Amino acid sequence: MDSRVMALGIRDLKFRYAAGSAWVVDVPALDLEPGEQMLLTGGSGRGKSTLLNLIAGLIDPVEGRVFVGGTDIHSLHGAARDLHRGRTIGVIFQTFNLLHGFSAVENVMTAMMFSTIPRREHRARAQQLLAHLGIDRPDANPDRLSVGQQQRVAVARATACDPVLVLADEPTASLDPENAVTAMDLIQAICREKNAALLCVSHDPSMKDRFERQASLEELALGEAAPMPGAGTGRRG
Amino acid sequence: MAMTDFTIITRSMTARMFSTVTTVVTVAVAVGLMLLLLSLRKAGEEAFSRGGGNMHLLVSRDSSAMVSVLNGIFYANAPQRPIDWAKYEQIISSYPIDWAIPTQLGDSYRGHPVMATTREFFTKFQPDPSRPWALRDGRFFDKAFEVVLGSNVARRTGLRLGEKIVLTHGISEDGHEHPEFQYEVVGILEPTGTSHDRALFTDLESTWIIHAHDRRLRENSSAMRTTAADLTPADKLITGLYIALPTREGSRVPAVLQQVFDMMRRDTSITVAQPGDETRKLFEIIRNMNLLFVGMAGVVMVSSGISIMLALYNSMEQRKRQIAVLRVLGCSRARISSLVLTESAMIGLLGAAAGIAVWVVGSQAAAAILKDVLGLVVTPRLDAPTTLIIVLATVALASLAGIVPSIAAYRTSVARNLRPIG
Repeated sequence: MDSRVMALGIRDLKFRYAAGSAWVVDVPALDLEPGEQMLLTGGSGRGKSTLLNLIAGLIDPVEGRVFVGGTDIHSLHGAARDLHRGRTIGVIFQTFNLLHGFSAVENVMTAMMFSTIPRREHRARAQQLLAHLGIDRPDANPDRLSVGQQQRVAVARATACDPVLVLADEPTASLDPENAVTAMDLIQAICREKNAALLCVSHDPSMKDRFERQASLEELALGEAAPMPGAGTGRRG
Repeated sequence: MAMTDFTIITRSMTARMFSTVTTVVTVAVAVGLMLLLLSLRKAGEEAFSRGGGNMHLLVSRDSSAMVSVLNGIFYANAPQRPIDWAKYEQIISSYPIDWAIPTQLGDSYRGHPVMATTREFFTKFQPDPSRPWALRDGRFFDKAFEVVLGSNVARRTGLRLGEKIVLTHGISEDGHEHPEFQYEVVGILEPTGTSHDRALFTDLESTWIIHAHDRRLRENSSAMRTTAADLTPADKLITGLYIALPTREGSRVPAVLQQVFDMMRRDTSITVAQPGDETRKLFEIIRNMNLLFVGMAGVVMVSSGISIMLALYNSMEQRKRQIAVLRVLGCSRARISSLVLTESAMIGLLGAAAGIAVWVVGSQAAAAILKDVLGLVVTPRLDAPTTLIIVLATVALASLAGIVPSIAAYRTSVARNLRPIG
């Protein structure tokens, strides 16, 4: 991938639920380089998750563009957008959202179903990744794993297809402090390893020390995101 | 092995095992019922058309031709009004007859009817026109007080060659017995697939002797022994007459059949039946009932389709999060809805397969019941095209039932279903 292509590029992104109401999301510009990690803070409200949904192309903005891996995700429609999301974005949820009735390795392999990874490599790669993340029982049902291990399975699933961008939505909120530390170490390490940009949404104060780059949604609206050097050149669709 | 849509569907089905199994069973019962009725319809027709075998006319003094066939061929009841020997002789001398076999019903052995007749019953008459009688064991009866067992009788009573048995006068259990007259089992027949499998066969003379003995006891209680020599013409009663008319080579229907039939019908002292006609009439009645049942089975199938729809639709609430997760992982709306549609079709396919199993068990049970209750030997068979059509129709119906749930799946909002609930 061209190093000049941003992992994430947001331009003039605006969203509100009803015409005439206040903007829930108003981000003039935000760029993340490949491998860059950023913390998005702020009190509880719908704004942060809405932003993540906009970036993942799960809801459409009123205005603006979101480039993921150089492609405006909102310019894609239907199956093409779903495929682009599956191949370029990994999502880690607060509640893990593991698939019930699927083993740990099956959860990871399900993510690969929609990738370009050759099918015969799916199981081996999933097992390898789970082992790398410290899961020694890849065939166990996640219900039978500890909460900390469930989060690792979720991390493995989010990073299985080598995404350019990982979105983490309150990834530690369901974990005790000890597990939270481990989980964040893991998430940040694997993203670095895979050169995936990480956008982490959290209101956990202990996160502050982990990220060089931080902003609240309000700061983003005011234009905090002074583009990093070389930013702002993300291709416009 | 990589994950496939198929794995996702099977996981989804096993995750809600109770609902899946219940729905599959509902479909299976409907399909089994449908197959059962279709196969019985065919088998019933076959069973009814046998039995009468190669006889052309059945003469009795029953109240109607239908009753005469039910009694004389299907052993429904013992005929109440006998034909005397003189009448028999008059009939066989008045018409062009190939063979005429006198039969007498009225005795039984442990509920199995006893057919008293002549050796010609085995040499001339064939219950299944394509197959002569065959003995599994022993021989046909030669003289008085010898009995040959139909295959069912042998199986159900466990009687063996050489055993001595006592017959009951009258079919019902409260009929009286004649312990002084013992019959010896001399032969056991191979199955014929007809009502005759549940009868015992003996010669007319033995029966006449027993009844003559009764008469003599009534007249003079000191009568000790009755033999053929004591028979009077009044003792020589029969209840039926199997008649075959001469046929030309290569033809199964005698040229004179209609003519003889019409002539015999003019004799009001007897009832004459063409077994083929009567069984056809009987089957017409059953066919109409059967159509009704097939229609009902169709309704049951449709309602099983509705239960598939309900089961899937109700599961949507539980599935919303799974659908949302799959969408985030890159699965398109269309693929999500095809997963639901395929699951529905698979429930239909499983139901149809299980329905065939239901049919196997059900048809055996139905055949056993028909044999026990009606003495009707049916072999329910399914032809491949019918089975295939039913299976395909079930899958199509199930797919149709999956449409509404799959639309619901298509419309599931991802963003709304990913946040923790509450």
